[in-house]
Amino acid sequence: MKPNIFVKDKVAIVGAGLTLFRRRLLETPRELAWEAAREALNSAGLTLKDIDCIVVGSAPDAFDGIHMKGEYLADGSGGFNKPLVRVFVGGGTGVMVPAVAWWHVASGLCKTVLAVGEEKMSHAYPHPQGVFAYIWDPILERPLGPNLIWIFALEMRRYMHVCKASKEDIALVSVKNKRNALDHPAAQAAANITVDDVLKSEVLVWPVQLLDISPVSDGAAALVLASESVARRVTDTPVWVEGIGVTTDNTHWFNRDLAYPRYLEYAARMAYKMAGIERPWKEIDVAEPYDPFDYKELHHIEGLMLARRCEAPKLLREGYFDRSGELPTSPSGGLLGVGNPIAAAGVMKVAELFWQLRYEAGARQVKKPVHKAVANAWGDLMQVGTVVVLST
Amino acid sequence: MKPERTPGRYIREEDLRRLPGVIEYKPVARYSYSAGQALSEFLRGLKEGRILGKLCPSCRRVLVPPRVYCEFCFIHTTEWVEVPGTGVVETAVVSYIGTARERLEKPEIIGVIRLDAPGYREGSFDFAGLFHRLCGVTEDDVKSGRVIGMRVRPRWRPPEERRGSMLDIECFEPVQP
Amino acid sequence: MSLWKKSRVVDVIHVEGRMETEKYVYTPGLAGVKVAEALIEGKIMGVRCGGELYIPAKTYCPDHSEGELVEVRGPWVIKSYTIVYEDMYGEKLDKPVVVALLGIEGARGGLIHYVDVDPDKVRIGLKVEPVFKPREERRGLITDIMFFKPVEHS
Repeated sequence: MKPNIFVKDKVAIVGAGLTLFRRRLLETPRELAWEAAREALNSAGLTLKDIDCIVVGSAPDAFDGIHMKGEYLADGSGGFNKPLVRVFVGGGTGVMVPAVAWWHVASGLCKTVLAVGEEKMSHAYPHPQGVFAYIWDPILERPLGPNLIWIFALEMRRYMHVCKASKEDIALVSVKNKRNALDHPAAQAAANITVDDVLKSEVLVWPVQLLDISPVSDGAAALVLASESVARRVTDTPVWVEGIGVTTDNTHWFNRDLAYPRYLEYAARMAYKMAGIERPWKEIDVAEPYDPFDYKELHHIEGLMLARRCEAPKLLREGYFDRSGELPTSPSGGLLGVGNPIAAAGVMKVAELFWQLRYEAGARQVKKPVHKAVANAWGDLMQVGTVVVLST
Repeated sequence: MKPERTPGRYIREEDLRRLPGVIEYKPVARYSYSAGQALSEFLRGLKEGRILGKLCPSCRRVLVPPRVYCEFCFIHTTEWVEVPGTGVVETAVVSYIGTARERLEKPEIIGVIRLDAPGYREGSFDFAGLFHRLCGVTEDDVKSGRVIGMRVRPRWRPPEERRGSMLDIECFEPVQP
Repeated sequence: MSLWKKSRVVDVIHVEGRMETEKYVYTPGLAGVKVAEALIEGKIMGVRCGGELYIPAKTYCPDHSEGELVEVRGPWVIKSYTIVYEDMYGEKLDKPVVVALLGIEGARGGLIHYVDVDPDKVRIGLKVEPVFKPREERRGLITDIMFFKPVEHS
C-alpha cells in the first residue's frame, strides 16, 4: 500500500447517526440536523465539547426554502463558535461531506469533525421538481420547459442503447434495493416488488417510470470523523477513510456521451490511488453506488470500475450485487429504498458502509467478510463525482 | 442492528394543515439573465436561421453552443463558423410530465442531437450538440431505439416569428432520404 | 480580432426570467408546535437549559441537549431598537415604525418585534408588554402578537 505522504493524520469514522427518511417530517431543518448529529455523537460516545470543526452539507437552498442554509443549520449541527463550512455540489454533496471532513482532519487542522447532511424537500409546493427547474440554463434549456427527469431519462436511454440493456435489466436494481431496505429502520420506500411492478408503474419520462426513481424525502444523517489518536482512544473498531476523490465535469452535458460517467471514473481513480487500490473489482468487498435512479447504480458500478463497461446488468441478473453476492451493492437499500433527502442520502450511504465494516448492520449485514468499501455520489448536470474509500 | 434509533416524526399533508404555526410563503425573484458574449451572437444567428459555433484554434473543435473559451485547451475561441444544423440523434426520450411534474396532455419527445461538426479530439465523447424537441418521430421510434442514430435537421419557425431564442428552432425532424 | 468581444450593452441579449414556486409550506418543528399552541393561549415560551433560560424557545440547547420549554413572563425591556422610515422597496412609510430587540431580566436572547411608541419617546430600558390579537384570530405565529406597548405607569 502506498501511504500518502502529504497527510498529517490518518482519519477514521467513529460514529454515525440518522433520522427517519420520510416524505414529510414535522421537524424543522435544523431540528433534523440536531437529531442526526446527536445520534452520531452518542454512537461515538462523544459530546459536542469534543468536536473541533463542523462540516454541513445541504443541496440547493430552494428546497428548504431558506437561503444560507449552512448558517441556518449551524446551531443544529453544533457548529456555532467553531469553524463551520457548508458544502454543496448538488447530489454529490452527501459524499462530499465526509470528503471535506477528511481533509479537515488529514490536514491536521481539526482532531474531530462532526459532518452533517440535511435536506427538507417537503417545503416546496406543489412538488420539489418545480424548484429543480432553476438548475437549467436560462438561455439554452429553460425555454424548452424541461423537467429534471428529462436529463436522467436521456442518459438512461443512451446507456440502454450503448449497453444493450433492457428496461427489465434496469428495473432489477429497484427490486433489489427496495427489498434490501426492508431491513433498514429509517427506510421510506422499502417494498417487496417485482420487475413487473416497476414496468407497470406510472410512466413519467420514458424510459423512466415512477418506481425507477427514488422518492422525495426529508431527513438528516451525520458522521463523526476523528484523527488516528482520537479514534484509537474512543473506539476499538475505527473505520479508516483510506481515499477520497472529487471531480467536476463541465455543465455542457449535451456535448458529451452520456453512456459513461467520466466524472466518476476520474474521482474513483483519485480515491483508489490514495487508498493503494489497483484492482477495485477484486479489492472492494462492498459498495454503495449512488442510486437516485435505478440505471444510475449500474452506471456508477461501471464508473467505479467494479465491473467492466456494460457488464453491470449481466452481473446484476446473476445476483453478483445481492447481499449474499460476491460484491454486494447498496446493502442499505440505497436511495431507491431508504429515501433520497439529497445531502443526507449520500451521508447515509457512507454510514451504511461504516456499519457494514464493523459488522453492526444486523439483518442488513452482507454475507461475505468485508474489509474494504467504496461509496460514491453524483450531482449537478451529470457533472460531479465524489468518492470515499473506507477500510478496517 | 445499527442504527438503533432513528428519530423523526412523520406527518401527513392533511395533518400538517391542522397544526398551529405552519407558515406559507410564496417567493418570486425576478431576473434578467444576460446571454453573454457568445450566446448573444448564437441567438442572433438563430433569428437568421443559422446555427453558429465557435472554433477552438488549438484543438480545432467546434463548440456548439458557442462559448468564448474552449474548456479543454483553456484559451479564447477566436473564429465563428456556421455549422450545417444536420446531425444524428444521440439519445431521446418521451416526456409525459411538465416542469412541475404535471401530466402533459400530449407527450413530448426530447433528444440530444450530435451535430455534423468536429468535436474534441476524435469527437466520440465530447461533441458539438444541442438539446431540443424532436418531431416527425413516434413514441415507438424512441422506445424501439430506431430514433437513435437517425439523421435530423432543424425545423425553423417562419422568420417573422423568430425572436432570438432557442425556440426559433421549432424542433429537429428526420432528414428524408 | 483575436479577442472577439461585444463592448456595448445593447449588443448583449438579455432574457427575462424569474425564480418562483407555487409556495413553501414550512413545518413548525418539534418545539415550534408547542410554541404555536402557547401563542394561541397568549403565552410566550422560552427554553430552560440547565440554569439558563433562552428566548425564543427551541428544541435543543447550545450544548445539544434537549431543553425544557417554559413560559416566560415579563416585564419585557427594550434592549435595542431601530426606527424604520421606509418599506423594503424604499418607499416612505406614512408613519415611522419602531422595531426593537426585547428581552427579560435573567434570560438570554430575546424577541424582535414592533413597539407601539412615539419614536421620540423610545429608549433602551423602556418596559413594554405584548398586545395579542383577539383569540379567534391567532394562528400560532409570531404575528399573533400585534406589537408591544409601553407598560402604563399607574
